[in-house]
Amino acid sequence: MDFVSNQEPQLREMLNAIGIGSVDELFSTIPDKLNQPRPTIDDGLSEYEGICHMEAIAGKNVFHTFDNYLGAGAYEHHIPAIVGAICSKSEFLTSYTPYQSEASQGMLQSIFEFQSAICALTGMDVSNGSLYDGASACSEALLMALRHHKERRKIVIAESLHPHYRGVVEQYLCSQGVEIATLPFADNGALDENFLLRTLDENTAAILVQYPNFLGIVEDLQSVAESAHKKGVLVIVCANPLVYGLYASAGELGADIAIGDGQPFGIPLQFGGPYVGYIACKKELVRQLPGRIVGETVDTKGRRGFVLTLQAREQHIRREKATSNICTNQALAALASLISMIWYGKKGVQKLALTNYQRASYLKNLLENLPGIEFLSSEPIFNEFAIKFPGSVQEVIHHFRKKKIEPGLDLVRYFPKLRGYILVAVTETKSKEQLNRYLEVAKECLI
Amino acid sequence: MFNIRMETIFEKSQVDQHAYSLPKDSREFQTYFPPKELLRKTEILLPEISEIDLTRHFCNLASRNMGIDTNFYPLGSCTMKLNPRVNEMCAAFPSFVRSHPLAPDEAVQGNLQIMHELIKMLCSLCGMSGGSLLPNAGAQGEFVGIRMIAAYHQKRKDYQRKEILIPDNAHGTNPATAVMSGFKTIPIATDERGDINLEQLSHAVSGRTAGLMLTNPNTLGLFSQKIIQIADIIHEKGGLLYYDGANLNALLNIVRIGEMGFDVMHINLHKTFSTPHGGGGPGSGPILCNDILKPFLPVPYVEKRENDYKLIWKAEDSVGQIASFHGNFGIYLRAYLYIKLHGNYGLRRIAEVAVVNANYLKTKLKGLFTIPFPQPCMHEFVVQADNYLDKGIKALDIAKRLLDYGVHPPTIYFPLIIKECMLIEPTESESKATLDRFIEIMMAIVEEIQQNPDIVRSAPQTTPVTRLDEVRAAKHPILKQYS
Repeated sequence: MDFVSNQEPQLREMLNAIGIGSVDELFSTIPDKLNQPRPTIDDGLSEYEGICHMEAIAGKNVFHTFDNYLGAGAYEHHIPAIVGAICSKSEFLTSYTPYQSEASQGMLQSIFEFQSAICALTGMDVSNGSLYDGASACSEALLMALRHHKERRKIVIAESLHPHYRGVVEQYLCSQGVEIATLPFADNGALDENFLLRTLDENTAAILVQYPNFLGIVEDLQSVAESAHKKGVLVIVCANPLVYGLYASAGELGADIAIGDGQPFGIPLQFGGPYVGYIACKKELVRQLPGRIVGETVDTKGRRGFVLTLQAREQHIRREKATSNICTNQALAALASLISMIWYGKKGVQKLALTNYQRASYLKNLLENLPGIEFLSSEPIFNEFAIKFPGSVQEVIHHFRKKKIEPGLDLVRYFPKLRGYILVAVTETKSKEQLNRYLEVAKECLI
Repeated sequence: MFNIRMETIFEKSQVDQHAYSLPKDSREFQTYFPPKELLRKTEILLPEISEIDLTRHFCNLASRNMGIDTNFYPLGSCTMKLNPRVNEMCAAFPSFVRSHPLAPDEAVQGNLQIMHELIKMLCSLCGMSGGSLLPNAGAQGEFVGIRMIAAYHQKRKDYQRKEILIPDNAHGTNPATAVMSGFKTIPIATDERGDINLEQLSHAVSGRTAGLMLTNPNTLGLFSQKIIQIADIIHEKGGLLYYDGANLNALLNIVRIGEMGFDVMHINLHKTFSTPHGGGGPGSGPILCNDILKPFLPVPYVEKRENDYKLIWKAEDSVGQIASFHGNFGIYLRAYLYIKLHGNYGLRRIAEVAVVNANYLKTKLKGLFTIPFPQPCMHEFVVQADNYLDKGIKALDIAKRLLDYGVHPPTIYFPLIIKECMLIEPTESESKATLDRFIEIMMAIVEEIQQNPDIVRSAPQTTPVTRLDEVRAAKHPILKQYS
């Protein structure tokens, strides 16, 4: 099948109007040796056949039948039903980037509200309209810092930043001629503060830390920010935005740029994307922000309206002098995130964050009482923690899987020094019964 | 009509109202509290709002927006074709939606199969030998492609290649990408026939050239007849060719991109393969390449083994990672199904009808506007609205007047090299009746320019807002609620 409207009668009329006899004449500028022969057999599928085909492939996945305790940058949360209902509305789903503001007030105002919600959560002054994902947000934030501090050629990145984010950052920065220093984590998973003081210097443009860090630990970043600011170093905090419902906001911590992935709000796991990166900063840095920004203004009749603004930063105007090459990014995913943030609202976000904390702490506490299980850290957590079973981690994971539980992430793939540890994420989606069952299966692994 | 100020959702907040509900709590959970000194102390300035008010707010916002489903949307270089709902339906299957990106390979074989087969289908369509789905959008695809070109020269210890050649009609992302990747950009002029200026190209290319970034058909909607010569000129000097796939729709099963001499390319799944633009994303910008660049593709990628599929996370010469996980997987599902539904036969038909539709419009608009390039166009074409400047009417005014007639305007003032231009791309989706209606509307607007230019100059009048004060927005930025 295809979705083409015009059939033989219309095409004939149109070719006549153009003044040619066949479609092929329109392609006559293409050198013969490049021209492909026209397929003669219709090898497409009907809509019904297409659905059956997709169902058959979908049937090969089994992960969704498991109790899932994987987090590590992608979290299973409830998605309010209204999110899908709004995001599938034609006017949002099938519109383009809102260049024509009079015809795009809906999307423009949504982006303005997304910017407002991100600022509300992070406690920052300004936000852009979204970036691709958490990893690109890290990269863009560092590039911002390097533009701000043109003379400084070093950045410091916490080892406890998501290793994938670190990988992408290296990709983005590799041609910038900057030194990347790694701030290691200590044995308890927290930042090594002595190392921090030694490594920050007047050549450092920024320090990038994660909150809670990749190992699930929530740290008092205020002292980190103070040390950094003494040397004029910009502080970039990468966070699961839900953490701000409970713990100090990026603004309170003294961050200059707040970034992260908005996936925990309103976006399904869907094997890693689309998600939505967010980036917010202090107002002094606004002209260094990459990507779309929406501002409020008035129309010729004095009515309130919204437009893409500060576009002199962007590639379609500035070309090689743009702050970033980013063009299209994640508007619809940002809308999903916004609706979820609003659905929870001022109090709901706090309750959701506390619920996540309490359920994770409940399971952590149950496991703590089991003999033989080790914890990486006694530092405060949010909704994730690292534990170690005695014996082979592969066997433990295998046993859990036999019981239809995905118990967490084997950390050795990222940190050889954490051999044996798994990272367990608990969200509001896990009931007491499920958490108790995790405990029972954990006990079986100890026998 | 009673004219009310458009409120934001924040301004609709009412104390203690809410939409949320949370799963059943337990006293045993409630005993846990984090250390007080780490808690948030400031208020969260999110609104308090009931579900009905939330629903109504966003439904009202939607009604203040145009989409392809609601209006003809001939936005050049954006390929605003139908976004089939069957794609949306299948992408929402629970086993896709609930897969964690770090799930064990054996639990997500369906996902891996989709990714593996999609790359294979795209490669076969484009005459390339390998690829990666990871880039989150076209611009990120460009970035990865240019990084791969850099890695290729690096590997050969060919360190002096620091320049990327880019035609002056290229998308703005091209030069921005090249600079982000550490290259200097050399612009190449367009000749009077809308093709690349070969003489200038020959002079510009040298041992310092890392590569050329090119769109073909270019942003004027013209297929470059010199493409084979261009490729030879670049390759002879050791440079590589990057294909910006924004305009791929015109060439589906007509020309294989690799056969034109391109070494690496990106595809915008949200253009050619019908995945929704979503008001500016999420897109997806897979890259494809030939054998010489294959070792440099990013990770992770899917490998097919005898009985299963497996994710490979490390490869020796790879440029590394580019996305948080596996890129925009949800978009791959839609593009995959779209290709399956069409088959090679249907894809060829897309290109042919897209090109017929564009040429039909172009023929019919000849009398109304300047047509800078008279030869047949591909899937889109440029007209110049420079013949009404004496009436004080610019392309912008015509674009705004189109809104009053319920048409989303074409792309205006791009490419930057054509004065008062409108870049029109009807796509294969549109029927002849829709195109005829568009032509009638354009004729009506031209008539208005003669009779009553003020109505065009002050357009639009029927949209939720009239022209907005962009200068004020930039001069006194209000970028959020409570600022």
